Amino acid sequence: MRHVTHVAGRELRGLFVSPVAYGVMSLFAVLAGFFFILNVAYFETEVFRATQFQAFERLQTLNLNDHLIGEFLGSMSVVLMFLIPGITMGLFASEKTNGTQELLMTSPLTIWDIVLGKFLAAALFVTLLVGIVALFPGLLFVYGDPEGARTVSGLVAVLLVGWTYVAIGTFASSLTRSQVIAFLMTFVLLLCMLLLPAIVQLGIATTSGGVGEVLKWISTGSHFESLLKGVVDTADLAYFAVMIGVFLILTKAAVESVRWR
Amino acid sequence: MIEARGISKRYGDLLAVDDVSFSVGRGEVVGFLGPNGAGKTTTMRILTGFLPPSDGTAEIAGFDIFEDPLAARRAIGYLPESPPLYPEMTVTSYLHFVAKIKDVARARRREAVDRAIERCSLTEVRQRVIGSLSKGFRQRVGLAQAIVHSPPVLVLDEPTVGLDPLQVQDIRRLIATLSEARDGEVQHTVILSTHILPEVSAICRRVILINDGRKIVDAPLAELTRQGHTLEELFARETAGDATTGREETA
Repeated sequence: MRHVTHVAGRELRGLFVSPVAYGVMSLFAVLAGFFFILNVAYFETEVFRATQFQAFERLQTLNLNDHLIGEFLGSMSVVLMFLIPGITMGLFASEKTNGTQELLMTSPLTIWDIVLGKFLAAALFVTLLVGIVALFPGLLFVYGDPEGARTVSGLVAVLLVGWTYVAIGTFASSLTRSQVIAFLMTFVLLLCMLLLPAIVQLGIATTSGGVGEVLKWISTGSHFESLLKGVVDTADLAYFAVMIGVFLILTKAAVESVRWR
Repeated sequence: MIEARGISKRYGDLLAVDDVSFSVGRGEVVGFLGPNGAGKTTTMRILTGFLPPSDGTAEIAGFDIFEDPLAARRAIGYLPESPPLYPEMTVTSYLHFVAKIKDVARARRREAVDRAIERCSLTEVRQRVIGSLSKGFRQRVGLAQAIVHSPPVLVLDEPTVGLDPLQVQDIRRLIATLSEARDGEVQHTVILSTHILPEVSAICRRVILINDGRKIVDAPLAELTRQGHTLEELFARETAGDATTGREETA
């Protein structure tokens, strides 16, 4: 298992010696700032409107967690959908083009060492990105009083969604030797996951309840939302564990398949 | 050190390696000879544990590749046809990484890396990024990678392909020194594949000729040349002869 850290360490260092990591982090920070300001401005107008129209009920329900942090974290999870394919695309695809796959597979490493090492590296990088996201709600604690626990559970939601995306990207990268194809495959898979509930809604008349429920369950949406609302349900946590586990098992099978072709 | 027993490899209908057996002792340098597509690379990939054989098995330094795959891989250093390099890493950090995944103990890693760098004459480029190195240097980094954990067995797949004549000589000299026992250093058993005949006479003491996936000749070089044939004649005769008999069989 200590080989996992060796593989992960090399992968992370690889990210940080190239401009990719810094580019992704800067872009992410800028986008985070943009969406945060957008949401702050929106929140301010809402408060302003509610006061102007003396809508005290509305004013009562307006709060930083629902109407600012929640919206902001939701936007950031969509931004992750665009960035994570770029982070994971090279994990396995570049090993194939470098020929280093042969080095890894003829070293005393197990396939799990390789798969977990790569996943861990990308997951840690995404954790760093979520750390950047956390700075913005952090600011609100200086100027306002959002609920701490709910904010944390929202950030955990973004983190878990990010890790799930990483597992899917890792899998896509193990299927091809082209980074471009790995990127597109990941992106399409993530898009499908995002749109699943909408598709189910559209086809609700035709699909029987069971299938629709399963498809909805597969989508990150509902699990993400409930964590965002501060509802920490083990079923939702289990969902993320299952998704990550399934895609890592698929990755392991794909990497191993080189041996059986 | 290497025991191949009835190795076969099928890719669909194609039989790439057909019932190949041989045994290589400690300190031997064996040339694995054959035309392109004869099954050299496939055989080497089986020995190194990259591919499993469809039939048969092999032992590396006493470890079966099926029963004890990790130990067998630990005992082997492998230079594939194109050296497996990470272009963004420096030579030193790359070799450190290889030493880690080859189970070199932490306390001995620095020494192992320094020794590999010194043996492959990489001292002047040790802090350079691999992507910026010339082809000759890259090939040497590939060799350094194969020997960094002092494996008893070295498998080199066409180690001089694509190099200029001076670099070819360089690499050959280096390989020749690897099988010599030096103080405190592991004596490597080397098996190298090539289709360049002078390479065999320059480095190897024994020849295994393989064609169409089958072993045709397995003899010490001295014995072959004593019979009055040059390697070229032997190669032409054996590969052509086999091709005709092969055709007769299928007809």
